[in-house]
Amino acid sequence: MSGVRHLYVHLPFCASRCGYCAFVVEVGALDRRDAYLDALLAELDRESGRLGTLETVYLGGGTPSLMRPRRIARLLDALAPRLAPGAEITIEANPETIEGRALRDLRLAGVNRLSLGVQSFQPHLLRALERQATPDQARQAARCARRAGFEDLSIDLLFGVPGQTPADLEADLAEALALAPDHLSWYELELKPGSRLASNGTEPYDEDEAADAYRRVVAGLEDAGYRWYETANFARSGHRCRHSLAYWGAADYLGIGVGAVSTVDGVRWRNAPGLGRYLAALAAGGEPPRTREPLDPDTVRRERWMLGLRLDEPLDVAWAGAPDFPEAVARLRRLGLVAEGGDEDLALTREGRFLQNSVLHQLMEYV
Amino acid sequence: MAAPATNIRNFSIIAHIDHGKSTLADRILEITGAVDARDHRPQMLDSMDLERERGITIKAQAVRVEYTARDGKLYRLHLIDTPGHVDFTYEVSRSLAACDGALLLVDASQGVEAQTVANTYLAVDAGIELIPALNKIDLPGAEPERVAGEIHELLGEEQVLSVSAKSGAGVEELLEAIVAQVPPPDGDTEAPARALIFDSDFDPYRGVVGYLRVVDGALHKGDRLLAMQTGTEADADEIGFFGPEMTPVDTLHAGEVGYLITGIKDVSLLRVGDTLTSKARPAEEPLPGYREVKPMVFCGLFPVDTDQFPDLRDALEKLELNDAALSWEPETSQALGFGFRCGFLGLLHMDIVRERLEREYDLELLATTPNVEYRVTTTAGTVLPVRSPAGLPEPTSIEHIEEPYVRASILVPHDGVGAVMALCQDRRGIFVTMESIEQRQQVVYDLPLAEIVLDFYDQLKSRTHGYASLDYELHGYRESPLVKLDILLAGDPVDALSMLVHRDLAFGRGKALVEALRATIPRQMFEVPIQATIGGKVLARETVKAKRKDVLAKCYGGDISRKRKLLERQKEGKKRMKHVGSVEVPQEAFLSVLQIGTGKR
Repeated sequence: MSGVRHLYVHLPFCASRCGYCAFVVEVGALDRRDAYLDALLAELDRESGRLGTLETVYLGGGTPSLMRPRRIARLLDALAPRLAPGAEITIEANPETIEGRALRDLRLAGVNRLSLGVQSFQPHLLRALERQATPDQARQAARCARRAGFEDLSIDLLFGVPGQTPADLEADLAEALALAPDHLSWYELELKPGSRLASNGTEPYDEDEAADAYRRVVAGLEDAGYRWYETANFARSGHRCRHSLAYWGAADYLGIGVGAVSTVDGVRWRNAPGLGRYLAALAAGGEPPRTREPLDPDTVRRERWMLGLRLDEPLDVAWAGAPDFPEAVARLRRLGLVAEGGDEDLALTREGRFLQNSVLHQLMEYV
Repeated sequence: MAAPATNIRNFSIIAHIDHGKSTLADRILEITGAVDARDHRPQMLDSMDLERERGITIKAQAVRVEYTARDGKLYRLHLIDTPGHVDFTYEVSRSLAACDGALLLVDASQGVEAQTVANTYLAVDAGIELIPALNKIDLPGAEPERVAGEIHELLGEEQVLSVSAKSGAGVEELLEAIVAQVPPPDGDTEAPARALIFDSDFDPYRGVVGYLRVVDGALHKGDRLLAMQTGTEADADEIGFFGPEMTPVDTLHAGEVGYLITGIKDVSLLRVGDTLTSKARPAEEPLPGYREVKPMVFCGLFPVDTDQFPDLRDALEKLELNDAALSWEPETSQALGFGFRCGFLGLLHMDIVRERLEREYDLELLATTPNVEYRVTTTAGTVLPVRSPAGLPEPTSIEHIEEPYVRASILVPHDGVGAVMALCQDRRGIFVTMESIEQRQQVVYDLPLAEIVLDFYDQLKSRTHGYASLDYELHGYRESPLVKLDILLAGDPVDALSMLVHRDLAFGRGKALVEALRATIPRQMFEVPIQATIGGKVLARETVKAKRKDVLAKCYGGDISRKRKLLERQKEGKKRMKHVGSVEVPQEAFLSVLQIGTGKR
């Protein structure tokens, strides 16, 4: 093995918790950022034996921009010897936490891709989501990013937000396109257990309305020249997210930080949530508390199908492993959900991509 | 001729569900010292889990207690419990035949219910002494005077006792009344032995446990016995009484109530209502009233997982051993594969059997629409019993079809009479009579059993806000213009969804059924048309729209396991679905017909 080439770093600090959030985040703990950075570097050091040359680094959160550029610079300095030339280094940021100066400093520190958490440009939807940024701040952040020299700008948006009308969606589409990002992630809002939206009894979006919204997003972005390269991701040519492509290609990745997940050599492990425990374990020179999940060959195969069918490129069946129900392929072709072709690779039709889960259940046995 | 012991009293308690029979039985056991109040579980006599959960009594029980009355004498009381549901009328009649008296227990706020009336008539027919009592007199809603009036109307009885089974108040007076008013057993201690099997139970280790009342002579341990109706012969391996634990004795004398174990493993060999006599000195005549119980309601039971077919057969074979009323025969469905057509006493019995099969034998079952047994006369003049729509001969070879009717008696407050009559008319009822009982009306209709099997009882309850009560008995066959209604899913007929309906109701039923199916069948990868047809002609059509979006919204490195597990959970949900052709159909869809009356019709 040449070692792991993809690194995820979890930066959990947030100023407040958003209504839909069920991630591992830490609110009101900004005074522990330096200690956390020390712990991250200690964990990285412990795991360094697994690492090869890093093709991608993804700084996710939480609100990574709250770490401030100087801490990010310290982290990236530590990684510098391992980075491949032209490595993709992404940071997530909330518009209200970032301005021209900070963006320039991040660029200087080596960050070359910015993922801006916009979610919507409609004030009433931002309120429903309990987001802190205003639409103006989002537009401002995107302009500043360009000025700071980011040539890989992505923005995150949501559909299926309670109260979102078709007109709201059209407005978001137009506003997003006006910023001319290189990449968009446009997710359906999930009411995740543990989030305030889920616990305050928010009604899930109507099935047909959600389908309309999804199809409108895909059509709107494709019309504007973006490639629908993954279920919820869109990119201009040459701007697909290489880090995410590694996940969807079932590559190995190392995740460090509280709550982070790694998958290396057929084993997946997850650092436990809880900042205190994480800091204490690493300060004491130990391993952070973790749960381990060995992945047997069937699980690996079923995950490869689950992930691979998210992409617009055909799935290499020899690589992924045979489907559990090969006889379903012909049926799915008749239904127009799987594209015509040979047995070596399998591609979903456009309609098939909208029904990816149903197709997956026909092909694979998830037990 | 010598009379049995004069200190024996055999009695049962007649009560509607929830009127407090089990609680009163508990209190009697405590007061007579048969059980210690401390190690007492509520509802001591209902021994099956299912019974305790549903609050109904399936198996009759017979407990012996000893009571020293105020006259200073020691009495031996046998409390014979009776089932409390309309499905089990025959079992009730046999239990009553084993008694010389009965307590008629009526909830002081609910009043007399149709079932109480029916069971009271059974008791009157059996010629046994009735002692009326009001229960729950200490509850806020109690109306003792009104309810006593209803009892007077029913029995012509002036004196009505009052108890609180919960607190125990009045229970001693009740026991005194039993001693004073229930006659001691008659019979002849010197005649050849005759004992009535009034119920049976099944012990997985010891086989059939017969519950019996010795009428004449005596049974001894070790006797060679003959069941006079079925001709079964067996040795009395053990005889005894319930105290309430099983207590073996050497002899059960005339007038006594107890149990018998013979090692027989099949309840159909020792049938309820049969008469046991001594093989060595047999009686000339069996006791009267024996009847072979016949199933009235039939449905197909299919394993959801076709691999479970042999397990289902094994389970039915075992269940049949302790349920003489259950019948079954193999059935093949194009839609559902191999299964069994099973016969039941009624819908409750069907539910109980299905639940027991799923719970005790770990099976996942699919039940098809229940139906009744039709009689088809063919053009060739032969009469065929038809227990499933699929079994109906070709229309051209049918001369006519007859269907079973019941005589239904419904008790309802005056202001609910209109609703009840509308419902009965709606369900093809034929009015018989109506009379006033105190504050209520007794409405009698002849109704097709098939309509009762549908959601009649639920409808009755909902249209009368729960105040009406129902009792019915089979009342012959009548010719009906019945047609077979077929359901097509995605263009293919699904035999398990076919039903026989009255020609005039076919359109409404077909429309309601396809609507119910549309609401039950989830969206699939393609559009699923649902059609109701008669003889190939489409009566009604609905469409389950195709899914338009089914994706996992977001999937990043941190949640691959979570997303995979989400797929596993979705798969778990799909396991409850049955593939019918290319369509995934949830189990409850096959019972949709039972819901079609609840919506708009």
